[in-house]
Order: sequence, then structure tokens, then C-alpha cells
Amino acid sequence: MSDTAHTIDKAHLKAENEKYYAFVNLALILAAVTGVELVLVYLPFPSVLIFSILISLSLFKFVGVIAWFMHLIYDKILMTFAFGTGLSIAVGTYTALMFLMAGENVAPQEIPGR
Amino acid sequence: MSQEASHDDGHHNLMVNNKKLIMWLFLGSDCMFFGTLISTHLIYRKLYPNEFEPTQLFSLELTSFSTFILLMSSFLMALSVSAMHKGQMKSFRRNVVGVIFFGLIFLGCQVYEFTHFAHEGLLVSTGTFGSTFYLMTGTHGVHVAIGIFWLISMLFYSQSGKMEAHKNAIDVEVAGLYWHFVDIVWIVIFTVVYLIEFIA
Amino acid sequence: MSTKITDIPSTLQQSDLNQLKPEKSDIGLTRPDHSKNVFIDWLTTVDHKKIGLMYGTLALFFLLVGGVEALVIRTQLAVPENNLVSAQMYNQLFTMHGTTMIFLAIMPLNAAFFNFLVPLQIGARDVAFPRINAFSLWSFVAGALVINFGWLLQALEAFGLFSASGPTAGMNDFVPAMGWFGYAPLTSKEFTGAGTDFWIMGLQILGVASISASFNFIVTIINMRAPGLKMMRLPVFTWMTLIVSLLIIFAFPAITIALAQLMFDRVFGTNFFSVAGGGQPILWQHLFWIFGHPEVYILVLPAMGIVSEVLPTFSKKPLFGYSIVVFSGAVIGFLGFAVWSHHMFTTGLGKIATAAFSLLTMAIAVPTGVKIFNWVGTLWGGRVRFQAPMIFALGFVWMFMMGGFSGIMHSSAPADAQQQDSYFVIAHFHYVAIGGILLAIISGIYYWLPKMIGKMWQGNLNLWVAVMTVVGLNITFFPMHFLGLLGMPRRYHTYLSGFGWETYNMVCTIGSYILGLGVALLVVDIILCFRSKKPAGNDPWDARTLEWATSSPPKVYNFAKTPIVNARDALWADKYGPESRKLGAMDEAHGIHMPSQSWMPLIASLGFIPLGLGLSLMQAGVPYAGYAAIFGLVTITFGISLWAIEGPGGYHLHPKEAVEEA
Repeated sequence: MSDTAHTIDKAHLKAENEKYYAFVNLALILAAVTGVELVLVYLPFPSVLIFSILISLSLFKFVGVIAWFMHLIYDKILMTFAFGTGLSIAVGTYTALMFLMAGENVAPQEIPGR
Repeated sequence: MSQEASHDDGHHNLMVNNKKLIMWLFLGSDCMFFGTLISTHLIYRKLYPNEFEPTQLFSLELTSFSTFILLMSSFLMALSVSAMHKGQMKSFRRNVVGVIFFGLIFLGCQVYEFTHFAHEGLLVSTGTFGSTFYLMTGTHGVHVAIGIFWLISMLFYSQSGKMEAHKNAIDVEVAGLYWHFVDIVWIVIFTVVYLIEFIA
Repeated sequence: MSTKITDIPSTLQQSDLNQLKPEKSDIGLTRPDHSKNVFIDWLTTVDHKKIGLMYGTLALFFLLVGGVEALVIRTQLAVPENNLVSAQMYNQLFTMHGTTMIFLAIMPLNAAFFNFLVPLQIGARDVAFPRINAFSLWSFVAGALVINFGWLLQALEAFGLFSASGPTAGMNDFVPAMGWFGYAPLTSKEFTGAGTDFWIMGLQILGVASISASFNFIVTIINMRAPGLKMMRLPVFTWMTLIVSLLIIFAFPAITIALAQLMFDRVFGTNFFSVAGGGQPILWQHLFWIFGHPEVYILVLPAMGIVSEVLPTFSKKPLFGYSIVVFSGAVIGFLGFAVWSHHMFTTGLGKIATAAFSLLTMAIAVPTGVKIFNWVGTLWGGRVRFQAPMIFALGFVWMFMMGGFSGIMHSSAPADAQQQDSYFVIAHFHYVAIGGILLAIISGIYYWLPKMIGKMWQGNLNLWVAVMTVVGLNITFFPMHFLGLLGMPRRYHTYLSGFGWETYNMVCTIGSYILGLGVALLVVDIILCFRSKKPAGNDPWDARTLEWATSSPPKVYNFAKTPIVNARDALWADKYGPESRKLGAMDEAHGIHMPSQSWMPLIASLGFIPLGLGLSLMQAGVPYAGYAAIFGLVTITFGISLWAIEGPGGYHLHPKEAVEEA
């Protein structure tokens, strides 16, 4: 089966080629961000600041991969709904759960590890 | 939308491919899977802050390296999907081999990490930290392993000559979605399980 | 994955299915299409109608099993200090009663309706992934087998032929005995034996079945609708299927992971829920109810969908407030994720959390109430016909409302603290489950069975079924409100006299036998319907939706020509509406594409049996059980791999109706 057995229309090819540059750029950015994260944790800044920066960088990588590598911005909005519903239910539920399980009343002092 | 993978009489009302939609739904549902695992870890970590000191054990350099490897494998995966859409079978194969290779490196790092940790005394039965850490990262590792198995079978399938760009592009794309998802789960785990432990 | 389509030459267009020869699949094996062997045909089927019928048959069987378990429970409780069954057997009976009814009776009964009706209601040939559909069915069978396997071991143990060794040595509960929500730490190895392992593995497999079926239905409903069938023209039952499927795929992962954590606790000694190692039993409760509360709506929303189909048909009126009924269903589903902790008010959540969950729970009453009013509004001014499905649907509205009222009482945390774990709770959820869900399902059976088998009901037995079930359930469960408020706790093996509970308990037991007789009569009526000589015809009820437009039972291809829908109640508009709203038809001259049958879903899902049994028996110390588990995993992988490379296949049919007019 040769690679060009089926003619792919020009516009399609052009769109794919444009995606290529987006992919390369994103890969470079992702690599750089990971490097920054690694350095960041050792810097003598207030921990709240570092924490917030780390979370936002992670969020940025997360969204970057979903949007470009997973084609979500090129695709039908339905896909975003399908994934977004699950993601938001998960985030909402487990944020609530972490608050519910954070109380002092959940873990008495005598349990090991406190 | 690209061409249909199989001839069927389904009227695709919203012009969305069935396979792609089911994969996105699966990924939405998988968010709940990993949400449960990660939140269990964080809950116990917060309840028992002194039970275990992971910074002694974690090697941030190694984990950053495997994160980088997984991100790059995701990049190659995106390229191979793109190659498939363009009908470039050779380029597709080259990239998929890269993805598999990087995936195996990641798994290797994880196996090394696990054996090292176990050697240092962190077992699944070590308090709650061992339990939650191993089940969470282990489930992720199993996802990676399934992904590798999937891609290897796809590679063999393409070698057999039965794979055709116009029919199978969607299959590759769906496998790609899965692979990228495994990647974004790791992005989250890397930050909330590894990195924030090191904040002074 | 390449596809082979058999296009039979036009000279052969006799629509004779048996003239088609099975093709070879991509792996060189002959596909089991067009088999004359009835077993091969049903085992390898991908036809949503056959799958639905098998779901229904199995679920009815388990409904009877769960019913018998309930009757034993009630007999044990009829008089104080009774000793009909031992305390442990009593625990096993209520555990299996709950598990069976929820996972093996109601969910698959709903699945039976989903399978049979959804493709018909949306004018599709089949579901989006026919083989995944078959996989769901057989996984359900595997899960049911694993979860009930303990009965065999229990019997062997009773005769002294088997005893547990290994991790659970000395334990003799091979049937799960810790309640259907398996609260930690009761589920840990110190307290329960291999029964818990069967329960874990069984539920895990049933979860796979439910989740994979749900993905399928969501894609089917979103993507496979007939032309013109916009989302807001969908029958309400299909809408509820969509919402329930979304609930399943987002709720089941929580229990899947919780069960996996529990399994690791039991098999590998982790500390997720074991108190000694720092585990928090309360976390299990949270994870269970994160799944468990949406599960309640997973059970009840299909019932609401059935009633929303039956009431308009037998009132000869469109559903009152269609869009608000659909919207209410969606709101119920969404809010269902935000109220799980109301099962845990007495665990001490803290004031803010308790208030928040209390308020959200009360909020769910609003969309539910909206639905009730819309159903009543549908009846208002309609030409009501009291035929069998209608009688049960009306029973649903009333009885479900009663269950709803006691539900609102629970939503108030201080009141709930009094009612927690008492018979009041039992009364509440049985009004919802039997008065609500079961009555709606019986209504659905009376409504759709003629469509499914092409035969019409005969005689007046349905009236007796209705009287027996409604009277029986009220006699059984109404006194339980009082029992609960008098302080009788649930799940107690027996009780002493002198608390004022004796009379109520006796009345409840009598009621349960009346209810049991009602369900038995239903089974008799179903058998009579199968033996009925009276053909149902396409549309015996003068109904409104698309499934009644095709023959009864529907042909394998459902519709000879894909309908084009121009109105909400598609068939009603076609029968009585203006020309512009009548059904159209697609040109199907090129033939109807049918999916090929396959062995692979069966093989893959049968692998779950050695996997589940192996892991559980390993806990009971059976030698080599671990190898069985590995064999199971290999079988699953093997089945799925062959499934992937055999290709979807398919063939073309040319039904007479389509050819003649083309």
C-alpha cells in the first residue's frame, strides 16, 4: 500500500501542515515549562506564590495538550462538551470531597502519622 | 471530518465520528477515575502530613525527565496522527515507533522508581502514603502500558499492509486521544504529587 | 480495519435472509452470520432487539431471585425472636437482596428497554457499536455469575465439602454479608470472608458492563437519529436514556476505584480503609455515595421516561410541557452529583456541609415536583383510557409521590438523624423502588411487550397484577414508616417483643406475600402473552412515537426505509397531523447495511468469569485460583484483540417493501 494511494485534497493537506507548526511550537513550550517548573520549586520565593505559579503552569500544559495535540480547538464543540462535563463533575466533586475530608474531626490525633 | 472508517448507514446527525465521540466520552469518564485516585492521595497526604516524607525519596530530576519524555511522546503522537491524515504511511510508522519508544522509557523510569522506593522501604502496605501513591501511579502506568500495546498492534497492522489512510486515520486519531489523555493525567500528577512536595 | 460488504446482485433481491452466505472475517474465520443454529445465532448476536430481550429475561429471573430473598427476610421478621434463618444468613440475604435488585434486576430491566427501544425510537438500524452492546450483555452475565457464585460455596460448606483457608481462613461467609453498600471496615479481612471478594469482583464486572453500554447509548442517541429527529423531538424515554447513560459514565468510576482500593486492601494489604494503618472508613462512604446517589437517579429516571411515554398515549394528548420535563430530568441528573453526603448526615460532616447538602437535596424536589405536575397536566382534559400500562403508570405517579414525600423529610438533617438506619428509610426507598420504579417497569412491560414479541395481551390478569402489587406494596411498606419512627432499626436479624413492633411486622410480612403474589401473577401474564394467538399489529395502543411505526416484532433491520421525522410525536403527527408533519422515507434502493455477528464480545466478556472467580477464590485459599485469574485476563485481551482485527464486516439486505417502492 503506497503512501499516496489516496489523493488527499489540497486544503486538507495545507491545514495539516499548519497544524505541524503549532505542534512543534507547543512541544517546545511544554519542554520549557517543565524545565521552569523544576527550577521553580528550589527558588526562595514565598511558597504560596510558587504553589500558585506551579498550578497555573500545570493548568497551562493541561489545556495546551487538550487544545492542540488532542485537536479540541479544531474539532466540533460537542467533543468539548463531552469531555468538559466529565472534567467539571470530577473537579467539582473531588474539590468538595477534599474539603469534607479535611476536618480535624476526620482524623483523631491518636492515629499514626499525625 | 475525515472519511468514515467503515461503511454504515448511520446518519451522523452532528457530523461527528462515532469512534471519536465515544473516546471523548471515555476520557470524560476517565477524569472521574483519576479524580478519585488523585483526591484519595491528596486527602490522606493532608490528613497525615508527617506520616511520610516523600522529598527524601522522590528524585525530582528523574520524574522531570520522565515527564519530559511523556510530553515528547505526545508530540510524536500528534505528528503521527497528522501523518496519517496526510496519507504518509512511512512518516506515520516512524513517529509511532518513537511514541512507543518514549512510552517504554517512561515505563522503565516508573519500574525503576517503584523498585527503588520499595528497596528504600516504601511498600503498598506502608501507611496510607504507600497505598495511595502506588495505586495512583500504578493505574497511570497501566494506562501507559495499554497505550503501548495498542500502538504496537497498530504498528503491526500497518506493517501487514491492511492499513489505509482514508479508512484508518480515525483509528489512529482515537488511539492518539487516549495517549494524550494519559499525558495530561501525568501533567497533573507531576505537579500535585511530586512538585508541590518540594516547595520549601 | 477493512470492511467487506456483500452486495447481493439485483436478481437475488428476494429479501430472503437465508440466501445470504456468511463471509470470512479479516482473520480468516467464518463470521457467524445467517446461522440456522439458534444457539449460535443468539450467542453471537449484535441485534439490539435480541440483546434487549436477553437482558429482560435475565433481569426478570433475578427480580424473582431477589424477591424470594426478600420474602425470606420478611418471614424471619414476622414474629419476634424468630429463628428461621441464622443471623449470618440474614445478613447475607439482605445484602444479596439489595445487590440483586439494584444491579441484577432494575438496572438490566432498564437496559432491556434501552436496548430494545432506543434505536427504534430514533429510527436507527442498531446502536452505534453493535459489538460493544453484545459485550455489555455478556459482561453483565459474567458479573451476575461471579456475584452469585458464593451461594454454591455456601451450600458446599453447609454439607462440609468446602472450607476457606488462606487469607480468609476460618470465615464461612461465602455469600456477601456486609450490606449492599459494603461499609468499611466491615469489608476488611478481619470481619468478612470471601463473600466480600465475590461482591467486589462481581460489582466491578457489572460496572464494566454498564459503563460500556452507556457510552454506546450516548453515541447512538447523539449520532444515529433519523433525519429530522432533532434533539427536542426525541421521545422522553430516549432523553432519559441519554441522561441516565451520562450519569452512569460519570458516576461508576468512583465505585470502580473505591472497589479497586478495597480489593487492594484485602489482597495486597494496603491501608485505604483499614483503620490500623491510618485508613479512613468514612472515605469509603464518601466514594460509595458519590457513585451511589447518582445511581438512585440511574434507577429512577428510566422509570420516569417510561411513564412520560405511557401517560400521553393513553390520554390521547401530547406530554404536557415536554421541554420542561426533559430539562427537569437533566437537572435531576446534574444535581444528583451534588447531594451524596445526605446519606451521611449522622457521620458528622460539619455544619456548613450538612446545611449545603440539605439544601441541595431539597432543591431536587423541585424538578421532581415539576415532572409530577406535568404528568398530571398531561392527564388533565385528556381522553383517558384505563388500559393495563396506564393503570400502572398512574400507580407510579401516586406511589412515587409518596416515596418522594418521605424523601423530602430525610433531606432535613435533624429529622434524618432520627430516621437514619431505621425502618423509615426502608419504607422511603421501597416506595420509590417498588411504588416508583417497579410499577413503571411493569407499565413498560405491558406497553411494549406486544411490540417486542408481536403478540397481544389477553384476559384481565393485568388488573389483578395491579391490585396485588399496589395493595401489597402499601400493606408492606406503609407500616414501616411507623416501625421506623417507633425506633426499629434496619438490618437486625430479630427483635424482642414488647416494643410495639409485633403487629406492624406481621402486617408487613402479610403485605410482602401479597406483593410477591402480584409479581408471580405478572410472570404468569407474561407467559400467557407469549402463548397468545392474538397478533399485536404495528400499533395496538394508538401510540405516538416512532417504534410503533414498524412491524411487531420489528424486522431485523427495524425500518425497511429510514423514516424522515417532521414532528415531535412522530407517529401521532403521521396518523392525525397535517401533511407537512407526516413521516417521510429515505430512498434505500442500495440496500440496508447490517452489522455482522461476532463471537469476540462473548469470548472477551467470558474472560471476566475466571478473572473474577479466580481472584475471589484465591482469597478463600483455593489452590491455582490465581492462575485462573491470569487466564481470564489473557482471554479478555485475546478476545478484544481478535475483535479489533476481525473487522466490523457487514452485509446488505434488500427488504421487499423497500425494493418494490424504489
